[in-house]
Amino acid sequence: MAALGARGSAAAPARLSRVVRALWGWRARRGLGQDAGAADEGEAARPAFADEAVQTLLRRMTGLDLQKVFRPVKTELKPPKYKLMTEAQLEEATRKAIEEAKEKLIMPPVLNEREPIDDVLAEDKFLEGTETTKYVFTDLTYSIPHRERFIVVREPNGVLRKATWEERDRMIQIFFPKEGRRVIPPVVFKDEHLVTVFQQDRHEDILNRCIAQFEPDSPDYIRVHHRTYDDIEKHAKYDLLRSTRHFGGMVWYLVNRKKTDGLLTDMIHRDLLDDATSLITLYHMLHPECQSAKEAKERKLQGVDLIKVFVKTESQKEGYIQLALEAYEEAMATSTAS
Amino acid sequence: ALLAGSRLLKGYRGGHVVIRFALGGCTNRPFFRIVAAHSRRARDGKYLEQLGCLDPLPNAHGERVAGLNLERLRHWLGCGAQLSRPAEKLLGLAGFLPLHPMTVTGAERLRRRAREVAAPPAAGSSGAGDAP
Repeated sequence: MAALGARGSAAAPARLSRVVRALWGWRARRGLGQDAGAADEGEAARPAFADEAVQTLLRRMTGLDLQKVFRPVKTELKPPKYKLMTEAQLEEATRKAIEEAKEKLIMPPVLNEREPIDDVLAEDKFLEGTETTKYVFTDLTYSIPHRERFIVVREPNGVLRKATWEERDRMIQIFFPKEGRRVIPPVVFKDEHLVTVFQQDRHEDILNRCIAQFEPDSPDYIRVHHRTYDDIEKHAKYDLLRSTRHFGGMVWYLVNRKKTDGLLTDMIHRDLLDDATSLITLYHMLHPECQSAKEAKERKLQGVDLIKVFVKTESQKEGYIQLALEAYEEAMATSTAS
Repeated sequence: ALLAGSRLLKGYRGGHVVIRFALGGCTNRPFFRIVAAHSRRARDGKYLEQLGCLDPLPNAHGERVAGLNLERLRHWLGCGAQLSRPAEKLLGLAGFLPLHPMTVTGAERLRRRAREVAAPPAAGSSGAGDAP
């Protein structure tokens, strides 16, 4: 039963990295990380979202609650199946469940917003007035990747230009439909309707739908994700995303914008000290010039001391975090005493 | 079913492969498939391969959607297929082939007709043709 709660157990990292490369391979390259909200930090040594160290920290913070990862998805009702297993078989089954859970928790990539396309291939001004609507031509060759597909538009004024990203996504969905994606993006992704979704606490569902509908570097994807993270941070609903594949992205967003106080408080309340230290380590990796990073490096702090130094120097809501730390220490003291 | 008088295996005398539009759809709703077929076949009959499609009616975003399988198109053109005039015009508009001369001529004629309607030839000014 101890295996159920174990995080970071010995799984095959080689197989996972192969899966990651197959799914998001061409995107998980260095240098494609998302900018910090504020100023630019150092250039060459700046850790990106896809770095191994960063990913390890984020994965550790995401946690591996099997009950939540494999909670029932709304499919048709079937009566539960019971199996009689020995201890060894149970361990084997748990190990396999942990591996599958790790695959489900692979984080979607975090990319910069894509540059708009405006490339004119030909100008034939004498065609003006012959047609009233534009033509969109899509290359249907099966073996070329979607990013390299030729999609051109012939406007009524005779200009032959490359299609914009929205037109490209629409055409590719028409001719090569992907499951879970609609040709015209659903209305639920507009800001006024996202509010309703957030009130029903369905952040994870909307993020899953967003991943199915948009490309990771499209402005809509980034906007929906940022709204979701902002709402979670405003209402401190961090637990909704814990043990899902979106937790890493949320932590990355918050650390880049230095809004980590609420998350830190939440972790200390739930007695997740390791996660708190991982969060602060990540913060120091991303902002190495801040004071607590320098202090931590020269004094080589670990654990609770690291958190205390961080709270004193960097956080805005010092009071709350101090209270939470004191409550935690009291709880530890009483539990060890009793 | 190779019975005597079977209609399934049609052998033609002469004819060549053409790339042309096959009309489909319903009443008041045309839809063209860009198709490589024998020239002697019916317009909507059995074809060798479908190379794309064209929807002549504009969609909700005001665009006429066309798909072209350029790789297979190149293959059939390499095998010596010919093109029908609308197919040539469409490929010219797409940029795959150079613009068809009739497209240019059509545009010029349209403009001349529009000019004649707008400014009736009272003044004897010579209408200089547009040189593209």
